[in-house]
Amino acid sequence: MAQEAKNQDLPPLVTRKPVKTKEELDLLLADKGIRYYEDMKTFPVDKEALKKNLATTCKSRIRTWLEICAHCSLCADTCFFYLANDNDPKQIPSYKIQSTLGELVKRKGDVDTDFMINCMDTAWGKCTCCNRCGMYCPHGIDMGVMFGYLRGVCFSQGFVPHEMKIGSGMHWIYNAQMDVTVTDFVETCEWMAEENEDYYLGLTIPVDKPNADIMYTINAREVKHYPQDIAEAAILFHIAGENWTVPSKGWEETSLSMFAGDWAGCKNQVEWVYEAMNRLKPNRMVVTECGHAHRATIIEGPYWAGIKTGQTPSPSIHYVEWVLEALETGKLKLDPAKKIKEPVTLQDPCNYIRNGGLCDVTRKIMSYIAEDFREMSPNREHNFCCGGGGGLNGIGRYREQRNIGLKVKRDQILATGAKFVVSACHNCWDAIRDLEEVYEIGIKWSFLKPILLDMVIIPDHIKPKEEE
Amino acid sequence: MFKNILFATTSSALCNDASDVAFEIARKHNSNLYIFYVFGFPSRGFGPVTDFKTGEAKYCDQAHVDKVKEEIKKTYADKLTKLGDYVIETRAGVPHTEILRFARKKDIDLIIMGPHTRDEKEGLKYKSTLGSTMQDVAQKARCPVMIVTRPVPKEKLEFSNIVFGTDFSKASDAAFLFAYNVAKTSGSNLYLFHALDVSPRAGSAIRSQNEIEKNLGEVKEKIKDVYVNRMEDFDNYQIETLEGIPYMEIIKFARGKDADLIIMAHHSKETDQDQEKALLGSTLEQVVIRSSCPVVSINRHKKE
Amino acid sequence: MYEFVSGPLALISFAVFFVGIIARIVWYVKGLDWRLDRVAYTEKLGDGIKGAVKSLFYWLLPLNRTTAKHPIFMAVTYLFHICLVAAPIFLLAHVVLIEESWNISWITIPDKLTDYMTLVVIAAGIFFLIRRLVDPNVRILTTASDYIVLAIAIAPFITGYIAYHQLELGAGYKTWLIIHILCGEIMLIAIPFTKLSHFVLSFCSRIQIGMDYGIKRGGAKGRGIAW
Ligand code: HEM
Ligand code: SF4
Ligand code: SF4
Ligand code: SF4
Repeated sequence: MAQEAKNQDLPPLVTRKPVKTKEELDLLLADKGIRYYEDMKTFPVDKEALKKNLATTCKSRIRTWLEICAHCSLCADTCFFYLANDNDPKQIPSYKIQSTLGELVKRKGDVDTDFMINCMDTAWGKCTCCNRCGMYCPHGIDMGVMFGYLRGVCFSQGFVPHEMKIGSGMHWIYNAQMDVTVTDFVETCEWMAEENEDYYLGLTIPVDKPNADIMYTINAREVKHYPQDIAEAAILFHIAGENWTVPSKGWEETSLSMFAGDWAGCKNQVEWVYEAMNRLKPNRMVVTECGHAHRATIIEGPYWAGIKTGQTPSPSIHYVEWVLEALETGKLKLDPAKKIKEPVTLQDPCNYIRNGGLCDVTRKIMSYIAEDFREMSPNREHNFCCGGGGGLNGIGRYREQRNIGLKVKRDQILATGAKFVVSACHNCWDAIRDLEEVYEIGIKWSFLKPILLDMVIIPDHIKPKEEE
Repeated sequence: MFKNILFATTSSALCNDASDVAFEIARKHNSNLYIFYVFGFPSRGFGPVTDFKTGEAKYCDQAHVDKVKEEIKKTYADKLTKLGDYVIETRAGVPHTEILRFARKKDIDLIIMGPHTRDEKEGLKYKSTLGSTMQDVAQKARCPVMIVTRPVPKEKLEFSNIVFGTDFSKASDAAFLFAYNVAKTSGSNLYLFHALDVSPRAGSAIRSQNEIEKNLGEVKEKIKDVYVNRMEDFDNYQIETLEGIPYMEIIKFARGKDADLIIMAHHSKETDQDQEKALLGSTLEQVVIRSSCPVVSINRHKKE
Repeated sequence: MYEFVSGPLALISFAVFFVGIIARIVWYVKGLDWRLDRVAYTEKLGDGIKGAVKSLFYWLLPLNRTTAKHPIFMAVTYLFHICLVAAPIFLLAHVVLIEESWNISWITIPDKLTDYMTLVVIAAGIFFLIRRLVDPNVRILTTASDYIVLAIAIAPFITGYIAYHQLELGAGYKTWLIIHILCGEIMLIAIPFTKLSHFVLSFCSRIQIGMDYGIKRGGAKGRGIAW
């Protein structure tokens, strides 16, 4: 208890509110999750608020799911966590949700701190919200949706993994998942244009151009760590002759707020992007090769923002849709001789395949770029999560569990015999990288952009002229 | 000429020779020196950073930053006392990205770095993200990049003998201007050098010796035409051409002339596009590995 | 006694059953919230209906991967449910009774067949029971109410079988008949109040998830969801 006494004089780390100031954020970052989880052990549950929250937001859909679950266990082997943990019954989706949200609803929020910590450990550490189980349940019970809901409940009570709390705070403070400001973004765009303009004549990254055909939005980590991704996108748009732009404000399409269950934060974040659409009036928006960002900004976002049609203000598509369109219309021409010769396999990110219906799109793209394309099994809408979705990649507390979960994807990849994995999703890309780090199966992985850039035929007017 | 110098260090013995050069040049030119250290890449969002060299995962908080800065200060303690202006900067991220970002922001005139050798395994593993730091920096920097892999005696930093290797590309043009500038200010002997690539890979038919001689003659004319004409009253230069595998020839030539500095263009596209070459490394990389004197790589004209 | 259970009590249980399930449906539909569920139910009704129809089609027929993956269990379930619903509704004796009371009737199926169907329901019930007791996956999920619900569901079939075949198991035909009717009424009354409400709510859920996929999760992008 000495610990507790000591901590009382320190500013609180665990709170029921999102982090909205830089001071709080720095405090959390500096803590590294040590005192944070320590404090959480004694952080009280606000039962009244919890009860009210459940009464107003847990409606018939979820209550029905919880009630009518036949406890039949058919969903057991649909969850990669169950499979990766040697068929541990405690990893059955139904068990995971019944023992957490099910109990919570039954007890009308009359639960204690330990219970809430268990909810947190389950909602983030044992589920990536990949929604696979829901496809197999005879009643159509979607545990992924319920865990998403449970995350929101946990967040409102302060029981949220350290990194998720930080992520949500980042969005409040920077409108981005990392500490990347508008200036950083614009500077990086300028930098990337400068770095490549000599090799691709006329290359620019137009910022805030109104009425462009395409408004392109990205993932903050491209600015922070992978600026070449922005450059590659720019080059490909340029080669394709697109009239495109990036918004100085509203460029971030990811949402750690969604992973955190910070619904107010989600709304705040997507509205930033939608404002850019309303301001610049592009014909459409293209989002970068990211799965959850597509889910957040295009699929779920309009609902957070209160748009009744469920559609973004400007029509929005995923990068893979743009790529296919450009290939089919001949805006991008690939050199067939450069098709990848070695066996290649493809990761289907749940967030725009199962939950976005784009599996045919990526397969058509593969037919342009790979000679020996090998499907994983299962695939398309039935594909397993990479193992790192739902924010799990980023959470230290569940690193072990995440690494165990990666086994399923590892075995899927190995079974194809391919040593090259195409992954048009930042999150899956990370998971596959980590998979290689942990299990060393000797694979390579890549986004689409670098592959396309290697193969694309550069039109003459863009090629640099070597003066004689 | 070198108002702002960036010395990119890995803070290990690997960079000792580069540090000597960096500090000496900074002292001589009274430059602002930035000692730049990149921790490495966060192993996961907001998590600890994996150090590229040690593989250790450490949180990059203020305490760690201070500790690393302190270490750097200690490592270079005696050399730093002789310096006027220096700043130690650290970043977390992909090394070449952070180096380039910083160089652009601070309007750096010269980047000096050690080999930042690529660990073969890691290099392959992270190829898509990281590549090799040195390669990427050399390839993309707007300013000259000096790579130092061996000890350089102080007197050699007078740069009395400079070899400028050209292939007549646009990038070589920028390299020439730099070489000319250095030669002029340091009063050096400038060798304008071209190696005719006769390695079997380069062309289809094998050329006869006569043909090669003829070609070499043409090249000499071209050097006069392209470069010599631009060197106003500077006359301390020599034109040299040889045939062979370019990187071998330039190394041999530099050694023969006891060169203090090799200046050449880096062909950015080379590494990206040619798989075979990418594995071996570019001409530049080969030169860097083998050269006993510092090598300056220039890719393009400085952005004004 | 017989008069009471087959008269007013039957009426009451049917009333509770119908009012109950209608109330559950109404409650379900009213509880759908486009914002909380994040599905544009009304705005994109067309896509929603398409998705719902697909979802029902693939699941009312055994055209889903779950059936392919668990053929035995799913076969038992389909048979169990078909028999459980069809046998009582089309049993000659039931139809006659209803015709006598309310003057409505419909087709019937031969007693021989309903007899087999009853046995199927009982056998399936025993299968479910054993599975609950031995399979660790099911055991961890099972609660006491699962046994009660299973008992409520198959009790009318067991007692009906006993009564129909006039098996003298410690009581006379009349007694067994009364017990059978009572069991049936318990089941009817239990449906709206227990998870037997899945009788209707399963359809609701299936339609909802179908609309969900049809409206936002890729349904509108052409392929829709492949169940
Ligand atoms: C026609 C509408 C119905 C549908 C669509 C339906 C659907 C289902 C489904 C999907 C399951 C879960 C999978 C399984 O365990 O087999 C299930 C289980 C079950 N159903 Fe139904 N059902 C219906 C009607 C009924 C009725 C009317 C009863 C009885 C009153 C009933 C009793 C049961 C029982 C007892 C189980 C649990 C089996 C077990 O213990 O595993 N169902 N039903
Ligand atoms: S498959 Fe559906 S009904 Fe069966 S246990 Fe899982 S969630 Fe419950
Ligand atoms: S949503 Fe995915 S991870 Fe979560 S329980 Fe279902 S199958 Fe498992
Ligand atoms: S990371 Fe990729 S595979 Fe994993 S949940 Fe997200 S989209 Fe799905």
